Amino acid sequence: MMSSRQRTLIEFVLDNLVWFLLVFVLAVFSVAIPNFFQIGIFANIIEQSTFVGVMAIGLAIVIIAGHMDLSVESVAALTAMVTGILFCSHGIGLGYTLSPEWLIVPVSLLLAMCVGAAIGAINGWLVVRLQMNAFIVTLAAYIWVRGLVVAISGGRSAQGLPPSLRFIGIDTVAYIPLIAWIAVACFALFTFIMAKTPFGRHVTMIGGNAVATFRAGIKVDKLVVFSFILAGAIAGVAGWLLAIRTSGATANLGTGMLFNAFAAVVIGGVSLKGGVGQLPGVYAGVLLLSSIHTAINLMGLPAHYTQMILGGLVLAAVLLDTVKLSIRQRLA
Amino acid sequence: MTDTAPLLSLQNITRNFGAIEALRGVSFEMNRGEVVALLGDNGAGKSTLVKIIAGGLEATSGKVLFEGNERNFTSPAEAKAAGIETVYQDLSLCTNVDVVANFFMGREIVKRYFGIPILQEAEMYAATEKAISNAGTKIPSLRVNVEHLSGGQRQAIELNRFVHWGGKLVLLDEPFAALGVEQTRRGLEMIKRIAAHGIGVVIITHIMAQAFQVADRIVVIRQGKVAGDVARDKTSPDEVVRMITGEAFQGKAQEARPNGP
Repeated sequence: MMSSRQRTLIEFVLDNLVWFLLVFVLAVFSVAIPNFFQIGIFANIIEQSTFVGVMAIGLAIVIIAGHMDLSVESVAALTAMVTGILFCSHGIGLGYTLSPEWLIVPVSLLLAMCVGAAIGAINGWLVVRLQMNAFIVTLAAYIWVRGLVVAISGGRSAQGLPPSLRFIGIDTVAYIPLIAWIAVACFALFTFIMAKTPFGRHVTMIGGNAVATFRAGIKVDKLVVFSFILAGAIAGVAGWLLAIRTSGATANLGTGMLFNAFAAVVIGGVSLKGGVGQLPGVYAGVLLLSSIHTAINLMGLPAHYTQMILGGLVLAAVLLDTVKLSIRQRLA
Repeated sequence: MTDTAPLLSLQNITRNFGAIEALRGVSFEMNRGEVVALLGDNGAGKSTLVKIIAGGLEATSGKVLFEGNERNFTSPAEAKAAGIETVYQDLSLCTNVDVVANFFMGREIVKRYFGIPILQEAEMYAATEKAISNAGTKIPSLRVNVEHLSGGQRQAIELNRFVHWGGKLVLLDEPFAALGVEQTRRGLEMIKRIAAHGIGVVIITHIMAQAFQVADRIVVIRQGKVAGDVARDKTSPDEVVRMITGEAFQGKAQEARPNGP
């Protein structure tokens, strides 16, 4: 028999395996790759993780609720384009200004979130009311929302956001870019919501056994729709950050981020079966991907190696999940 | 007045599915703290009857009186609010969260800070611990996810939860179908314990031995009717089998033969 302390320790390691993996990978890179171990590199890894990271939060919540949201990347592109068109001064930008000037920050953010939430609401409605499969609904949204981005931009781009918004993408606090802090804040906020509020608890339980939660009187449909809306709004924030960082938007902005977000979610320990997963793990997954990406860049390897490693990592993560499960079963 | 009335009284319940008469006038009563075993062959109408009691189906005609008042539950949620619940295997627990979360499913204790509801884990843990230990159930840790617990422990959580939240009548559909011998024994003990709290228990089972171990009364449904309603100590498994298969008269005739000419 195992003592309860040993058991707690093993559980802790299993729960945070991706963090241990991240530390291990960073340590190996620091030793093996010249010039890797410096603040600038680490700050860069954290900054790179911002957009995929924020996007992955919403994706993870929907997956934990037992569904799927493939539309987050296109939603982010749409909100970036909306932000770009309204507030950029060049290209297709209309260059709206507000007075006082700082109002542009809350107004543009709120607008981005609303646009994202609207797409999320459509997805959620189709999934819950019309009982359509979330995979198909959001795959369709992935396509049509990207189409919408091309349509409203005419395939052209917007450039030149005003400094009152740009500062978010330029400033750093304690060596780390402000946008990365925003991503960290988002993770902290939603980790708290998932762990400490009835909403998070209910979403997790719905992903585990929707019938049981329904029988317990939990408003399953409402919560599932809300999780889609939330995923849309969070993707909206990711798009808003993306627009700020690139000081504008192009029609193909963010292409390919979905797969990174997806990989991060899986590597971070979120089960596609629903009901299992923790947001800090997802963030660790995103950081892990960025670290590997950065290491490959530093070594001067062609970028497509990243993709191969990414694919291998996703497979390894799923395998690891199986191993973790069998260890847990032996513990119980 | 409601205290003297039977806990549940069914009066001439019928239920048709199109031309098929699943129930053709079922009547029986049960009291608080009574354990009734509902027996019957496949297709006899047991499940239909249980669904009508628990609000999953509505009766075509007849009356359901609960605590002396006529009730007409249109949904399981309504029946549940009145204190009637069906415990199905694996349909009422979320195995991906811990015991405490399951115990408080949909009834979480929250405290509002700036209007945001925050789960009060310590309070919920304490209440769960108290309820589980009062019931004499042993679970290694309330923080362990339910998926790591045995079938018997899961059932204990479901039943304790039911008692804790003021349930009055619990319907158990084949509760021991997936359990081992020892777990079944504990489950039967627990049924007796919750009945001792004044809770009515209806247990559907195919296993005669279980019915005789735990039930105060045995009600047999055959072809949509009550074919027998007897106190456990006034009957025998053989007699019950005959009620189920409908060979009661034939059986009597056979018994009579040795005494005949």
